[in-house]
Amino acid sequence: MNGVPSSERLKINSVLSSEWLKLRSVRSTHHTLGAAAAIVVLGAVWTYYAGTAWDGRDPAGRAAFRAAAPEEGFLPFLQMALGVLGVLAITSEYATGMIRTSLVAVPDRRRLFLAKAGVLAALTLAGGHAILLATYAVSRIIAGGRTMGFNAGPFTADLPALLASGLSVTVLALVGLGTGTITRSTAGGVASVAVLLFVLPGVANLLPEPWGLRVFALFPIALVRQIAGEPVAAQAGAGALPPLVALAVLVGYAVVAVAAGVLSFTRRDA
Amino acid sequence: MIEVRELTKRYGDTAAVDGLSFRVEPGHVTGFLGPNGAGKSTTMRIVLGLDAPTSGEALVNGRRYATLPRPMRAVGALLDAGAVHGGRSAFDHLSCLALAGGIGRSRVAEVLEAVGLTGVARRLVGGFSLGMKQRLGIAAALLGDPGVLMFDEPVNGLDPEGVRWIRELMRALAAEGRTVLLSSHLMSEMALTADRLVVVGRGRLIADTTVRELTGRYPTLEDAYLALTAGSVEYGAAR
Repeated sequence: MNGVPSSERLKINSVLSSEWLKLRSVRSTHHTLGAAAAIVVLGAVWTYYAGTAWDGRDPAGRAAFRAAAPEEGFLPFLQMALGVLGVLAITSEYATGMIRTSLVAVPDRRRLFLAKAGVLAALTLAGGHAILLATYAVSRIIAGGRTMGFNAGPFTADLPALLASGLSVTVLALVGLGTGTITRSTAGGVASVAVLLFVLPGVANLLPEPWGLRVFALFPIALVRQIAGEPVAAQAGAGALPPLVALAVLVGYAVVAVAAGVLSFTRRDA
Repeated sequence: MIEVRELTKRYGDTAAVDGLSFRVEPGHVTGFLGPNGAGKSTTMRIVLGLDAPTSGEALVNGRRYATLPRPMRAVGALLDAGAVHGGRSAFDHLSCLALAGGIGRSRVAEVLEAVGLTGVARRLVGGFSLGMKQRLGIAAALLGDPGVLMFDEPVNGLDPEGVRWIRELMRALAAEGRTVLLSSHLMSEMALTADRLVVVGRGRLIADTTVRELTGRYPTLEDAYLALTAGSVEYGAAR
């Protein structure tokens, strides 16, 4: 077996297609994607509800009417659902012991982990953006000609926020993969994602100003708005970070999570 | 060929494997015997690169497992029949492994046929009996048509027909010139299946011999095993 040419080595494409089949052949992937897609329905219901409120107002009330955009309001739900998908992509293998079977097939651990991360990133990028776009489109159709605030601008003006939101979903999925790998526990991984999304930003808000806002601005939930050039919070005026810096910080979460995952995955016994 | 050299694996203060050396040659079924906690499974995990040794090394065909260019074509292993995702069908499970190893999908149908699981290939593995999972694990081990095979307790949960099937499969694989390492606690079965024996206790080598040699000295292989491992039975020494 010695002296096998390098072209005979396991191809990254083989590992990628194996990981893709792994991901799509289990129900949990369909369930988490389905849960994520529920925001299309939630967004439609929300827009319909806000629309009936708008219909009941007089012209002055209608002019002053401001409703939150559903693709923005329900974004944390999407981030959480696909964050769980990221966690399960690795912890389901540890929970079942499948990880040892996988590692016997692909002993190059870095390659196996990066293939898993790559497939997860591709699926969540496509799925996250599709779900956000559908939510956006359905809510605009239901809103129709009503001036509800969120549907004031043209699509091109909303595009940066949509793209940033979609990217954040993938970042949270990769954070889930990383924390799931480090903790080897579904509960540990899901809790880590929830803490990053919901708990720590709230704690940051308790810090004395200006630190409260400065720290809050660094969390994924605040970065999406800053990437789109929107104020980090309603009362804060301009965003704390320039869009490109905010984008770099958001991508940084994914890079750190994947790097930590690779370290943990390659250095410990399976 | 499998070569284990001065292999040691420590978990804290306890040594699961303690300076173990032996070779498993092609063309024979080699039985791997020892009490629970003797270090058999740990040794197999290290051979497959799943666990890192504290010192020493384990080589397959002269190389560490992780450096084999096409590992599934070189080595097939069944360590734990339960180490599968219960939410995947048998066909998808094997397809995932075949894709990863660059093995054609037609081979999946072949190994399913070989282990008798063709009829349940589309059923979820979670609903399989232990015996069916053992067959699935053996199918996975055979996927790459490897020259080296390792099986940890493959007859657990199998019915008498399955036990005989495993015995004949092991002997057929060895007769084709493959290296076969087989662990089991069933001495009567081992006496029928294996030619050579590696006996370990408390992580150390107790005997590296042949079945014929032992059954010549003792009434049965079971008597030989119990005499050799007396004093090595110690629970909690390793995981």
